[in-house]
Amino acid sequence: MRLNGVSRLLKTHRARVGLCVALLVPFAFGGLVAAGEAFHQGGPIGSQTSDGYYALGPVVTQPIEFPHYIHVQKMGIDCLYCHTYARRSAVSGIPRLDKCIGCHNSIPEVKDKPRIKLLFDYWDKKQAIPWRKVHDLPDFVRFNHERHIQRFIFDQGRPTREACGYCHGDVGAMTTARRVKAISMGWCISCHEKDHKINAVSDVTSHGPNDCWQCHK
Amino acid sequence: MSGSGLSRRDFMQIVGLGGASVALTGCGHTSIESGVELVESYVQPENFVVPGVGIYYASTCTQCGSGCGIMGRVREGRILKLEGNPLSASSGGKICGLGQAAVQQHYNPDRLTSPMIRQNGALKPASWEQAMELLGATLTPGEQQGRRVLLTGPTGGHQQILLRALVEAGGATDHVTYDALSTGVAASVNRKLFGVADPVTLIDRAGMIVSFGDDFLGAGESPVAAARQYARFRRGARRGLLVQIEPRMTLTGANADRWIVIAPGTEGVFALGLARELLQRKEAAGTLSPALVALIEPYHQAEVSRITGVRGDLIPRVAAMLWEHAPSLVLAGRYPQGHAHGSQNVAAIALLNVVLQNQGKTVMRAAELPFPQLAPTAGDTKSLLELNQSMASGQCRSILIHGTNPVYSAPAFMQFSENLQKVPFKAAWVTQLDETAMHCDLVLPLLSPLEDFGTHIAANQSDGTEISIQQPLMERLYPDARSFGDVVLDLLKRAKPNDYKSFPDYYGYLKSAVINAKPAYDPGVKDEEFWENTLSAGVLHRAGALQPLSAAAVTPAMVELPAPAAADPQYPFNLIPAVSASLRDGRPANLPWLQESPDPLTTVVWDSWAELHPSTAKAMEISEGDVLLIASAHGAIRAKAYLMPGIHPGSVSVSIGQGHESYGRFATNVGVNPLKILDPIFDRDTGELALYATRVSIAKTGQHERMVKDEGPTSLQQGRKLVATLAADQVDLTKETPFVIR
Repeated sequence: MRLNGVSRLLKTHRARVGLCVALLVPFAFGGLVAAGEAFHQGGPIGSQTSDGYYALGPVVTQPIEFPHYIHVQKMGIDCLYCHTYARRSAVSGIPRLDKCIGCHNSIPEVKDKPRIKLLFDYWDKKQAIPWRKVHDLPDFVRFNHERHIQRFIFDQGRPTREACGYCHGDVGAMTTARRVKAISMGWCISCHEKDHKINAVSDVTSHGPNDCWQCHK
Repeated sequence: MSGSGLSRRDFMQIVGLGGASVALTGCGHTSIESGVELVESYVQPENFVVPGVGIYYASTCTQCGSGCGIMGRVREGRILKLEGNPLSASSGGKICGLGQAAVQQHYNPDRLTSPMIRQNGALKPASWEQAMELLGATLTPGEQQGRRVLLTGPTGGHQQILLRALVEAGGATDHVTYDALSTGVAASVNRKLFGVADPVTLIDRAGMIVSFGDDFLGAGESPVAAARQYARFRRGARRGLLVQIEPRMTLTGANADRWIVIAPGTEGVFALGLARELLQRKEAAGTLSPALVALIEPYHQAEVSRITGVRGDLIPRVAAMLWEHAPSLVLAGRYPQGHAHGSQNVAAIALLNVVLQNQGKTVMRAAELPFPQLAPTAGDTKSLLELNQSMASGQCRSILIHGTNPVYSAPAFMQFSENLQKVPFKAAWVTQLDETAMHCDLVLPLLSPLEDFGTHIAANQSDGTEISIQQPLMERLYPDARSFGDVVLDLLKRAKPNDYKSFPDYYGYLKSAVINAKPAYDPGVKDEEFWENTLSAGVLHRAGALQPLSAAAVTPAMVELPAPAAADPQYPFNLIPAVSASLRDGRPANLPWLQESPDPLTTVVWDSWAELHPSTAKAMEISEGDVLLIASAHGAIRAKAYLMPGIHPGSVSVSIGQGHESYGRFATNVGVNPLKILDPIFDRDTGELALYATRVSIAKTGQHERMVKDEGPTSLQQGRKLVATLAADQVDLTKETPFVIR
C-alpha cells in the first residue's frame, strides 16, 4: 500500500538515486557505529534504522541521550545487568542511578564527556533521572516481563539480547530506545500462537496463553 | 500538483507516514504510547525494592479500638492495600471492611494540609510557627483560672503515656476520654462483679452462646478477633450454638441459630426469668445467695413472657440447652445497657454467667500486661456530660480535642456546640476537618495513621499479651502534616525541657521505649536488632496465662429491675439508634468504600433509613421509601422507611453514622443523625447516656423517595412466595431434624 505511492514518485532516475542515497545514509552511519561515533536514529516514523527495522515509534528525547550501543556492543554488557528487574517483576526497570555511578566512578577517561557530566550532575544532586517510557502499554493491558524472560532466557536458554530483541528490536545498536515493533495485540497474539519447545532440553512443545484474562486481568 | 505526477491519493499516503502524532502511533493499530509517561526511576533504593513487586510492612489499624495488626502492601513508595498481619494474635492475618477502607482516610482528597487559625470568624491557613505559638501560650498554667481540658477518644499505648505526662507537667488540668458508643455501663458492672472492667470472653471455648444484643461479629469491641474465635466455635467437635436476644437484628443476630426478638429494655427481665429456670437444676445449687434466689422467684414464665413479649416456652428450652451445651457464655451488648436501668439489665445478664459457673471457663481475666501503663483507657459518655456542664458554666479556659467528634455525636439536648463556644480557646487535631474542628479556633493537620508511629494494645486478648506497633507505610503525603506524638512531645518539651530533650521526635521516643522493653521480650539480642525485629514483625508478643476472675459479688440491689414504664401516647415508639459495622460512631463516614458497602441487613447504600416491622408499617399504611418524620421531645429527623422483619414491632431503628454537616465531600449531607434527637435519659448507677431509651412519634410526610439498595427494588420476596417460611411459633420444633436446636 505504502510503496505504491512512493514508487510512483520514483519515476525519475534522479529520484531513485536520491532514495538510494537516503537509504544508504543510515547504513553509512551504521558503519560508523563500529568506529564509536554517535548514532543518529532520527528520522520520521517509517524510516529504517541501521538494524533493518522500521522505526514505528517516534523519537523519544531522553534527559541524557544514553548510548546503548557503547554499553552493549563495545562493552559487552548484558541487558539484564542494568534492566535487572525483568526477570523477577512485571516491569524490567531502569537501572538505579548508583549502578551507573558504580561503574562510571572508575572510568576517569570519559568523565569529561558531556553526557557523563550530565549523569554526575544528577548524582551530585541525588536527583532521579526522569527517563521517559518508550514502550508504554495502556492500563488495560497487563504485560509481565518476568514470565517472558523466565521462559525465553532461563527455560529455553536463548541469548538475552536476542530475546529482548523480539519485542524491543536491537536496542543494543541504538542510542536511546525507539519502538521498532508493532506491539499491538494482534502482534503479541501472533507470537503466542507459535509452538516452541518449553525448555532447552525438552521435546515437548507448547504455545503462549491465548485466553483474554491472562493479559486483561 | 499536476506536473509532478503526484496524485492526492499518493500525497495522503505519504503524509500519513510521517504525520502521526507523537503519542499514539501508526502501524499495527496499537494503543501504545511513547515518550509521554515517566519510568519509575530510583537514585539509591534499598536492595529489596523491586519496581512492580509489593513490599509488606507491618503496622496497626486505628479505625476502631480493636488494635488489629495489619500489613500494608507498598509498591514504588506508595501504600496500595492493607491486609491482616498473620503474626498478630488479635487479627491473625485477617482484616475487616473498616481496615480495608483505611487507605481512603490516607488518600482522602479532603485531608487538611496546613494548620488553620480562626480570623474574623473564618478558619484561615496559617504556619506551624503561628500554630505552636498559639497552642503553647494557652497551655501554660499562667495566672488565669479555669480548666484546660484534653478531650480525646479512647487512648492506649505510648500515645496515652505522653498525654498523661502532659497533664502531669501542667500542660492541661485534666484528660477527658469520650466514646459515643461507650460500654461504660457494662464496664462498671463488671468491675463490681468481677473486679475488672473488661473480662476476656472466650467465644471459642464455649459450647453455647446466649448474646443479649452483643454484636460481637459486627460492631462489637473486636470483630476480627471475635470472628476468628467464632469460626472455631462453630467448627468444634460439637458445633457451637448461638442464641441472640435483641430488639433489632444485628449482624451477629443474623448468624444466630435462634434469633429472639424482645421488647426494648426488658433484657434484664428475661435474664432473671432464665436464671430462675436455671436454678431449678441441682448444678446451680449454691451459686446465688438466698436473698437473690428470693428476688428472682417472681420472674416465672408467664410474667416474663408478658413483660418481654417473648414466648414463654422458650425460657425452659434455652435453659435446658445451656446446661446441655456447657460450657456456655452469656454476653451483654449495647442494647441492654442503653436504658435508665442499664446497670440492672447488665447485672441480671452477668448473673447468668454466675449461675452457669462460666467463670474460669469462658469468662476470665486477661493475662498480666508487662507494662500496665500502656493498657487502653475506654471512653465513656458521662465525662462528656460533666464536661458539657463545666463548659456551660464558663469553667473551661481551653480545650484540645483529638480522635473524637463530639459536636457531631452529642445529642441536641446537650447544646454541646453552644457550650463549646463559651470556651475561649478551642483546638482540634484532625486529618480532615469535621464538625468539631469547624467550631475550633485552631486546627492542626495530623499525619494519617498510615504515615505515623504508635503503639496499641488490642482489646480482649485471649492468647498472652501483645503490643502492636504502628509505623508509617509511606513517606508523608503532605509536608505540613505532623505526627500526633510529635506535637505532644513538643508541648511536653516546652513544659518540661529537661525530661524530654533526649528525644528528637516521637519516633526517637518510641524506639527508646521499645528498646527499654527488650528484657521482657527478647533479652538476648542487641538493641538495634531488637528494634528492627519489632518493626518487621509489627507485634511484641508475650506468652501468658489467662487469670481467674474474682468471685462475683452480686447483691439483690444490683438486679432490682424497675416496673416497665407506661406507654407514652405522644411518643408511642422506641427509637433504636443502631450501630453498623461500617460506620460505627460516624468517623468512617468520609470513606466512600464504606458508604458504598451495602448494609449487611438491609443492603442500603449512601443513605439513612428508618426500619419498621412490616406489621407496624401495614397498620400505618407505610410502604418502603415513604419519608417519615421521626420526632422525639428533643428533635426530629426525616428518613425513608424500610420494612424490616427483624425488629420489635414497637420500635423504629435508624443507624448511627450518617447526617454529617461538614465532613468532606463524601459524608456531608448524606443521611441523618439519630443521635441528635436522643432524650436526656441516663443510667441511674453510672450516669452514662442511655442510647436506647428514647421515645419517638412517627408521621408520614407524604413524600416518597426511591430507596437505593443492592437487594433490588423490593424486599420481602417481592410480594411473591419465593422462599416458603413459617414463623417460629407456627412450627412444631420438636419435629425438626437433629441439627436444629431442640
